[in-house]
Amino acid sequence: MAAFEDLSLQERMLLTFEAEQFLFQEAALLDEKKLDEWLNLLTEDIHYWMPLRRTTTAKEIDREFTKPGDMALFDDDIRTLRLRVERLSAGRAWAEDPPSRTRRMVTNVRILEISGDETLLSCNFQLYRTRLASEEDSWIGRREDLLRRVDGELKLARRHIFLEQTVILAQNMSNLF
Amino acid sequence: MAEPSSAPAGQPWYDVDRGLLDRRIYADPEIYAEELEKIFARAWNFVCHETQIPEPGDFFMNWIGEDEVIVVRDRTGQIQVLLNSCAHRGNTVCRAEQGNAASFLCSYHGWNFDLTGKLVGMPGEEEYYRSDIEKGQWGLGRAAQVDSYKGFVFATMDPSAPPLEDYLGWVGRLGIDTLATHGDLVAVDGVVKNRVKCNWKLAVDNLYDWYHVKISHGSAIRAGLLSHESMAYMDQMVILGEYGHGIGGPGLSEAQIAEFDARMASGEGEPQWYDLQAARRTDPKVREILGPVGSRCFGHPNIFPNLWVALTRQVCLRIPRGPLETELWWFTFMPKGISEEERRNSMFMANHVFGPAGLLEQDDGENWSHSTRGSIGAVTSRQPHYLRMGQGHDRVGEDDSGQHAIETVVNEHGQRWNYQSWQEWMLAESWEDLIASHSEPPKGTV
Repeated sequence: MAAFEDLSLQERMLLTFEAEQFLFQEAALLDEKKLDEWLNLLTEDIHYWMPLRRTTTAKEIDREFTKPGDMALFDDDIRTLRLRVERLSAGRAWAEDPPSRTRRMVTNVRILEISGDETLLSCNFQLYRTRLASEEDSWIGRREDLLRRVDGELKLARRHIFLEQTVILAQNMSNLF
Repeated sequence: MAEPSSAPAGQPWYDVDRGLLDRRIYADPEIYAEELEKIFARAWNFVCHETQIPEPGDFFMNWIGEDEVIVVRDRTGQIQVLLNSCAHRGNTVCRAEQGNAASFLCSYHGWNFDLTGKLVGMPGEEEYYRSDIEKGQWGLGRAAQVDSYKGFVFATMDPSAPPLEDYLGWVGRLGIDTLATHGDLVAVDGVVKNRVKCNWKLAVDNLYDWYHVKISHGSAIRAGLLSHESMAYMDQMVILGEYGHGIGGPGLSEAQIAEFDARMASGEGEPQWYDLQAARRTDPKVREILGPVGSRCFGHPNIFPNLWVALTRQVCLRIPRGPLETELWWFTFMPKGISEEERRNSMFMANHVFGPAGLLEQDDGENWSHSTRGSIGAVTSRQPHYLRMGQGHDRVGEDDSGQHAIETVVNEHGQRWNYQSWQEWMLAESWEDLIASHSEPPKGTV
């Protein structure tokens, strides 16, 4: 397949539209807490990772994020993502009972690379969460998502999440990004 | 603050005999201001691990109460703990969380401090100050004492604090030894930090609390993260130390350790977490360091006031951010030379159990924040917390080694000792006073 930027405008629009619709649908499943359906959108080899971010001087900005294999907020494979979902539906997952209310905004979708069945894209997101009477959290960040076409359907094969916060200003991250 | 009418003399907040705690200690701003002075500015505080700052100029920022400190390795290799506040107008001189610096230059007027905190220059020394400034007197404030125990660096702002090893005592040292005996530890890159709207003491005393596990973490047990098997061993061992240090949690018998060890040796089935831990405790070198009782102890140590040594090769600081907010900082360690597989398994635990997204810890913050919120109401705050579980029903076992421990069921001995000690720290006017007035860990019936 040709490089993304070498494709015609029409081809680029179609690919971008399809990727965006996948991301919107996936975000809706998370907002609606249809977590088992969400799991079905993931490939078996998914890497779901959110590194830590630190305040550094401008000179040392290359040390801002932790590297794969070091500490992370999420460093999950399909097994641990299933465990998270199973835990949330097991009862006594107090942080989500009463449930939080979330709304995900996914924007600025840019396709970075296409290769065979795979599309690597970058997008911005906001995850707004409120719970009980006055708890309020908001996370803004950028994601790099790798989509793969499996038997004609798009699936999420990798999600790397780069938050803007350093110290997490929330008492937990009981939700998925 | 007014004392509850029933408070015994000299026990304004914690009624030692009745195990009743005045819950205003979790919300009162005046008590909080006093804690900054009498607890944090007085205690030895964990500031970092030596391997976080291996090279000259490497620094890591931390907090002693609400005082921010730069922990930096100077050009001679010594670790300095400096107040992050310019001696001129109080501005911070370092704004990164970690990194490497040649010196610390204040962004306000350009006063420049070397890695030992000495003021080495400023713009206009001759033209504006007319060379009339004693630079030697205007360096960054420094910790009164800095020392490390097995790589864990501590600092105290109080020159009259006892030496670190005396401060830790055998219980504080055992707490760190349980981690240090994993091998030659190196800090993993990344300190996980998040904020909970709770008083710092609720986060601290939770580490002694093995009563909450099956309820608060019920979902993790149901989902199989904590196996029913590992949760079955809930016989408790509590060790209480001078100045408020303590260890609380599971204590295994020699027979149980032998059983785990045999199962590991047989190679039958997937080894459980306790199998691996117990097997390590059969190593004669480890047993010699931990001692006969310490070798059977799998509880959570707290180095008073706020350092939890967790069983996941991690430590967690509970840093106060006002009476109603706390930052949790998780530091993770791996022994040098472990196999890729062991590192992977250990990192899996570190990344999935605790921290804001941790499968266990997700459900803790809310309990602490709501308990804090419940300390504010005019009427609710009059109602004491009831910490009497097991009180008067247990004995401190005497061991020839000098390692005395309470072996019992789930209990609140650790919490009671924590608040009894906290109260003594708060009532003492100085280290001299605290050394003279503090309680020795109890013997006999507790």
